[in-house]
Amino acid sequence: MATIESIQKAYIDFVLTQGEQPKSVYIFAKKNKMTEAEFYQFFGSFDALEQGIWSGFAQKTLNEVQGQEVYAQYSAREKALSFFYAFFELLKGSRSFAVYSVKKQPKSFTTPFVFEGLKNSFEAFATQIINEGIETAELSDRKFFSKRYKDALWVQFVFVLNFWINDSSAGFEKTDEAIEKGVNVTFDLFQRSPIDNLFEYGKFLAKNGGMPEKMGF
Amino acid sequence: MDTPKEQNSIPTSKVQRSSKFVKTGFKIGGNYIKHYSKKLFNPDMDKSELNEDNASDIYESLSELKGSALKVAQMLSMDKNLLPQAYVDKFSQSQYNAPPLSGPLIVQTFKKYFGKTPDKIYDKFNIRSSNAASIGQVHEAELGGKKLAVKIQYPGVGDSISSDLKLVKPFAFRLLGMSEKELDVYMKEVEERLLEETDYELEIRRSIEFSNACANLDNVVFPKYYPELSSKRIITMDWLEGLHLREFLNTNPSQELRNTIGQALWDFYNFQQHELRAVHADPHPGNFMITPDGKLGVIDFGCIKEMPEDFYSPFFSLTSTNLLDNKEETIKAFRLLEMIHPNDTPAQVEFYYTQYKQMISLFAMPYIDNSFDFGETKFFDELYSFGEKIAKMPEFKQARGVKHFIYVNRTNFGLYNILHELKAKVKTDTFKPHVVGEFV
Repeated sequence: MATIESIQKAYIDFVLTQGEQPKSVYIFAKKNKMTEAEFYQFFGSFDALEQGIWSGFAQKTLNEVQGQEVYAQYSAREKALSFFYAFFELLKGSRSFAVYSVKKQPKSFTTPFVFEGLKNSFEAFATQIINEGIETAELSDRKFFSKRYKDALWVQFVFVLNFWINDSSAGFEKTDEAIEKGVNVTFDLFQRSPIDNLFEYGKFLAKNGGMPEKMGF
Repeated sequence: MDTPKEQNSIPTSKVQRSSKFVKTGFKIGGNYIKHYSKKLFNPDMDKSELNEDNASDIYESLSELKGSALKVAQMLSMDKNLLPQAYVDKFSQSQYNAPPLSGPLIVQTFKKYFGKTPDKIYDKFNIRSSNAASIGQVHEAELGGKKLAVKIQYPGVGDSISSDLKLVKPFAFRLLGMSEKELDVYMKEVEERLLEETDYELEIRRSIEFSNACANLDNVVFPKYYPELSSKRIITMDWLEGLHLREFLNTNPSQELRNTIGQALWDFYNFQQHELRAVHADPHPGNFMITPDGKLGVIDFGCIKEMPEDFYSPFFSLTSTNLLDNKEETIKAFRLLEMIHPNDTPAQVEFYYTQYKQMISLFAMPYIDNSFDFGETKFFDELYSFGEKIAKMPEFKQARGVKHFIYVNRTNFGLYNILHELKAKVKTDTFKPHVVGEFV
């Protein structure tokens, strides 16, 4: 009896040995001794299957990091770092597939279909930790902008993913450094910074705009 | 800066690190402006405030750079004679506190090398580091009721060492007032040792080897090492309870206790130098603990200097008066050690002979009688003033002496300095140098 995992495994094996998606569900099902119906019971298409693999990575990562004892003590910044590290550690086990799947995507500004599930899970996670961070005043709550924090983290995530794909350092140590630096920079921007003060000052001047005239300038 | 800021990344790329140094340069420039503008109003002001400002800026920049830059800061802090007191005080801080790295990176390092998170390996693991160890940081852990110290190395340290040293070179060269050529010989040696220090697998092998070899020494204790809980980036050892040297001195220990600790230090170093011919070359107050029962605990065997026979024999033979009184043999030894060069003129030979003889006889003072009181300031005043004198001589602004000197000097003067801080009186004939009377 086929399961989600066994089909995903068979699919990964197929694309990695053949270098491309199977020509049809029929060929794939036959090769793996199951019926087409069994396949469709779990997935609507190969892309949907691939999407499932990626969101599976995200889910496993979340289970992994949230299962760590220290996780509860972490700040939002550390939770994000922890997710990044755990994700790429997990991905190491399926690097060939990840490289195949990422490289196959056309270059575009919209998120490719296969990453949509991953993106949703990631954004749900990001929103959660960002809200926590805002509540504890670790992060600065900015009108309009704080809604976009999660997008900034996703951009960071996509960047690190591409970095990792091209990383050839031993043990992907360079990716670790990219994470440590990149995520920190992003969170530094989320924190209260001189820009907030500048903004406050601008607001103050706008409200009290009449002052210079009254003072005779 | 009371408590160092928690830091989340090391500036690793060369550009970032350079800009760090440039920033420090600007700050120091600013300090000078501050100093001279204050001086306009108060002509009596001396430079100690300026030195203090500079030292604190340099320290801040170095501690953010971590890695080898911090190591160099530690090295510089050994040579009190070459640096004004304010620099020394700030640099000495670097041994104890440097800003820590993020928790998730620690977890990641464990997962990478053991496939498990630290809380699965140990019964307890403190994710916040208890102190920095220049190229890593130390965490407290517990396993089977035993308290452990877990040292974790920062990623990418090895990579940045060479490029760091290139950056530090002009900086150190200004601070120490040395010639660039002279530094070059040393920097290579330093780089080699530093790269060895990044190899934790080597360190754990050596730690076990040396702590076994030195196990019979009186009043010296070593933590137990756990190779099965160690890897390329992680070392697990027993947690040594105790006080750091400075903290120990603040408790006003009795002369007797100070002598015991001093004797343990002396034996530890001289046993290694003269019997093992390889020595723990990091005699840094931060690498020693004084245990509650009054013993010397030695941690960190990252830096080991091996002494080849062609260095050991001429160098330590000079510490015996018989040889040093024999001018011909002494010059032979100086030639072997490249302190006198083959193409030196007779006048130069005479000059260097006189200077080096004075230096060596100062160095050998503790060996002459069978005991020596390191509490005496006279000896150290002589040592420092001699150091200052030769630092000003143009003849010494060039490369002299084989490369082994840098670590052997650092070790022995470092040892002398610690013993001086302890004001300890020690028996110096416990492990004597093996000397030869003449050279062929």
